[in-house]
Amino acid sequence: MSQDTSLRPSEKIAAPSDSGRVGVLTNVWRASGKTTGVLAGLILLVIYLSITQPIFMTWGNITNIVASNSVVLVLAVGATFVIISGGLDLSTASAAAVTGMSYGMLLQHGMSAWVAVAGALAVGLLLGIVNGVLISYVKISFLVVTLGTLSIFESAALVMSQGKTINVFSLEGFQPIYNLVNGKVAGIPYLLIFDVLLVVAAALVLRYTTFGRGVYALGSNREAARLNGINVARTTLSVFLIAGLAAAVASLIQVGRLTGASPGIDSTLLLTVVAAVLIGGTAYTGGDGGVGGTVLGVLFLGVIQNGLTLSDVSTFWRGTVNGVVLIVAVALGVARDRGWLRFNRGKTPASS
Amino acid sequence: MNASAAPLVEVRGVSKRYPGVLALDNASLAVSPGEIVALTGENGSGKSTLSKIIGGAEQPDGGVVLVDGAETVIANPATALKLGIVMISQELTLAPQLTVAENVFMGRLPRRGRVIDWATVRRRAREELAALDVHVDVNARVGDLSVELQQEVEIARAVSSKARLLILDEATSSLSEHATERLLELVREQAKRGVAVLMISHRMPELYSTAGRAAVLRDGKMVGTVPLPSTPESQLVRMMVGRELNDYYGSRDCVPGDVVLQVRDLASADGALAPTSFEVRSGEIVGIAGLVGSGKAQLGMALGGAIAATGDVRVNGSPVTLGDPRRALGAGIGLVPDDRKRAALLPTRSVAHNMTLTWLPKLSKFGVVPTRTEKRRVKEAIAEYGVKTSSPAKLITQLSGGNQQKAILGRIFALDCPVYVLSEPTRGVDVGSKSQIYALLQKLTESGAAVVIISSELPELIGLADRVLVCFQGAVHGEVSGEQLQEEVLNAIAVSGHVHSEEPS
Ligand SMILES: Nc1ncnc2c1ncn2[C@@H]1O[C@H](COP(=O)(O)OP(=O)(O)O)[C@@H](O)[C@H]1O
Ligand SMILES: [Mg+2]
Repeated sequence: MSQDTSLRPSEKIAAPSDSGRVGVLTNVWRASGKTTGVLAGLILLVIYLSITQPIFMTWGNITNIVASNSVVLVLAVGATFVIISGGLDLSTASAAAVTGMSYGMLLQHGMSAWVAVAGALAVGLLLGIVNGVLISYVKISFLVVTLGTLSIFESAALVMSQGKTINVFSLEGFQPIYNLVNGKVAGIPYLLIFDVLLVVAAALVLRYTTFGRGVYALGSNREAARLNGINVARTTLSVFLIAGLAAAVASLIQVGRLTGASPGIDSTLLLTVVAAVLIGGTAYTGGDGGVGGTVLGVLFLGVIQNGLTLSDVSTFWRGTVNGVVLIVAVALGVARDRGWLRFNRGKTPASS
Repeated sequence: MNASAAPLVEVRGVSKRYPGVLALDNASLAVSPGEIVALTGENGSGKSTLSKIIGGAEQPDGGVVLVDGAETVIANPATALKLGIVMISQELTLAPQLTVAENVFMGRLPRRGRVIDWATVRRRAREELAALDVHVDVNARVGDLSVELQQEVEIARAVSSKARLLILDEATSSLSEHATERLLELVREQAKRGVAVLMISHRMPELYSTAGRAAVLRDGKMVGTVPLPSTPESQLVRMMVGRELNDYYGSRDCVPGDVVLQVRDLASADGALAPTSFEVRSGEIVGIAGLVGSGKAQLGMALGGAIAATGDVRVNGSPVTLGDPRRALGAGIGLVPDDRKRAALLPTRSVAHNMTLTWLPKLSKFGVVPTRTEKRRVKEAIAEYGVKTSSPAKLITQLSGGNQQKAILGRIFALDCPVYVLSEPTRGVDVGSKSQIYALLQKLTESGAAVVIISSELPELIGLADRVLVCFQGAVHGEVSGEQLQEEVLNAIAVSGHVHSEEPS
C-alpha cells in the first residue's frame, strides 16, 4: 500500500462510542413544530405562577395581561407579515408614536371621533408607504430604510407636539376609543375580542390567500417567487402597509389606555415586538412561521412580565428577561432544525 | 490498483429512518483504497443518506461503520475529515463571501505563530489550483464565480486536504461535459494514488468510464454489486428501477403545426447573448446546445423574462413584454430555470406549496386559495409527475434532488402553456425518472405545445429534439437536424462555431 497515512492520528478519534440509537425523546424533539417549545414553556410558566401566585389565575389579572399586551400584539402581528416576507421593520414603534400624536392632535383640533381615528389610520398607511416604496421600488435595504425612518418618525412625533403630551381624556371625540379600549361586554373586554378577531383574520390571510402565499414565497426565495409570477415589489409594499396600519391601531389602543398621546417611545417596545415574533417560531430569515406562534410569543413575554410584577421584581429586569428568552428560544429552534441536540443515546448500537 | 486490500471504509447493515420513510434498510458496502465504486439507484433510494452517514453528516439508526477495519463512530463531518473522508456534493459547501484561497484552506489556514500567513495561503492555493489545471484568481470572491468554477475549487480543496476517501455525491450534475471530463480524470488520478472513491452520478457514461464496481440501492436496500464496465447498462438499469426500461426517450405522434414561438433579435442586456432569431412550431421540440458561457443559459432566461433583454418575442403572434417573468408567464411561456436551488425552490415550504406557487393566479378566486381544490390538484400532480414523497406537506428540501426537480417541472407542466422553456430539465434526475420526464415532454408536445430544451446532455437533445440550435460565444452558430443530428456535429459547432469537415479523430 502506497497510502500516505501520516494524516491518520495514531490514537482513536475522540468520537463518542455510544452511537446510533435514537430514543423517543429525540424523535419527539426533532418532530416538534416551531411553536411546540414556546407553548410548552408557556404552560409550565402558567402552572408555576398559578401555584406560587394565588392572584395570577384570577379573571382580573388575566384581563390585565390582555390589556397590557394588546399594543405589543397588534404591532407583532404586523411585524409577523414583514418578517415572514424576509424583511424587518425597525420603525414600527416610532411609527406608532407618530400615529398616536396625529390622533391626539386631530382630537385637540376638535375633529370628531371617527375623523380622528381615520386620520390616524391614514397616517399609519402613509408611513407604511414611505417604508415600502423606498424598499420595494427604490430598492434600498430594509435595514437601512427602517433604521432611518425609526429615527425620523421618532423625531417627527416630538416635533409635532413640541415634546408635550396631549391629554385627550376630557376631549369629547375621545370617548368612543376610550370605551372600546377599556370597556367590557359580559365581563369580556372588547380588547380581547378585538385581539382574537385580528389574529384570526391575519392567520386566514397568511394561510388562505394568494397574497399570504406570496409573502411566504418572498421570504423563502425571492428569485423563485419572482420567476413564478409573484409581484415582488407589490407584495413587499403591502407588508409594510400592513405594518404601518398595525402601528396606527396599536397607537389608538395605547392612547385609549393612557388617555393621552405621548411623543415618547418605550425603548423596549421594538425589541419586545420583534422578540415575540421570533420566539413564536417565525424564522428571522423569512419564509416560515405564522401569527399563531406570534400570539404565543406575546403571551409568553407578557406572562413573564406579569409574573415578575406579581413577584415584586423590579421592572428594570424586564429587558434582561426579554433578551435572554429571545436568544434561548431562537437558539433552541436553530438547534432543532440542525439536529444538534440528541437525547437518551443508547450505550450499544441497536441491532436491526 | 489495490481493490483486494482491506476495505478503507465499510458499512454493515446500516439503517436510517426519517419521519415517514426508511431511507436505508440494512445496507452494507465496502470501499477499498484505490478503488472507485459507483453508488447507483433511483432518486430517493438512499444514496445521499448513505454518503452522509459515511461523511459524518448523519448518524445511522442501526448498523455499524468500520474505518480501517475498526468500528468507528463518525460523529460529524469534522471527524470524517480527520479520518480523511471528504465529501463533495452538488450542494456546494464553499463560503460565498470568502475568497478562493480562503476557501481552499478553510479550517486549516497555514499560520505563522498566531497569525494567519496570508501570503502562503495565496501562494499555496495558487499552486494547488494550478496543479489541477484550474484557472481562477485566488483573490476572487467565490460567490462571484460560475457554478463550474466553484465546483472545481471545492474539488481542489478536497484534493489538497489529502483525502483517503472521496465521496462525490452528484458532484458532476452541475458541470459541463468538459468540466466533468476533467473532474473524472482527476478522480481516476487520485484513485491511482490509492485514494478510495465513492461516486454517485445519474450519467451512465461517467460511471462506465470511471468506476470499477457499481453498488445498487433500491428503496434503501442494497440490491447487489456488479463489476463495471463489464455489466451491460440495461442490466444495471434493471437492477436500479426493478423493471425493464425500453424506449428511453419515447416518441411522439404529431407533425409540427403553426409557428407558436417567434423570436427575433433576442439579446440579453448583459451582452452574454447576441441577437438571436428562431421559430418554434406547435408540436415541435427545439434543443439548444452549447458550452457553459456560450449564452445558451441566457437564451432560456431571456425567453422566460428572468433577465433583462431586448428584441421581439411573440407567442401565437402577440408580442411578449421582455424582462418580466410575470408577463412571460401570462403570455404563456413556462420557464424551468437551470439552477434549482437559487431560482426555483422555496426551501422553507412544503412540496404542496412549492407546486401551487405558480398556479395561484389560476387556482384562486378573489385572491383566496380554495384549499380543497388545491389539495386535490397537488395530489393529482404528484401522481402524474411521479414525485416520490411520503406526504404533500413534507418540506421540499427533504426530498431527494430528482424528486425536487420533478415537483418543479410538474408545477410548470400543469400550467398548460403554449410554450415551455426548460433549462437542464433532467439535471440530477435518475434514469427511471428521466425516462418518465421524457415521456411527459413527448405528451406535452403531442398536445400542441412548443418546447425549447436547453441542455448540456447531448444524447438527451438528440433523442428528443426535432432540431438543435448550437450556441457558441454568445450567439447561435448553427442549426442541426435530421441525419446531421449527431454528437460529433453538435460538439464541433459548440467548441469552434462551425462543423469541421476534416476533424482528426
Ligand atoms: N432530512 C430528511 N428528512 C426526511 N426525509 C428525508 C431526509 N433526507 C432524505 N429523506 C428521504 O430519504 C429518502 C432517501 O433520500 P436520499 O438519500 O436523498 O436519496 P438519493 O440520494 O438516493 O436520491 C428519500 O425518500 C427522502 O425523501
Ligand atoms: Mg441524492
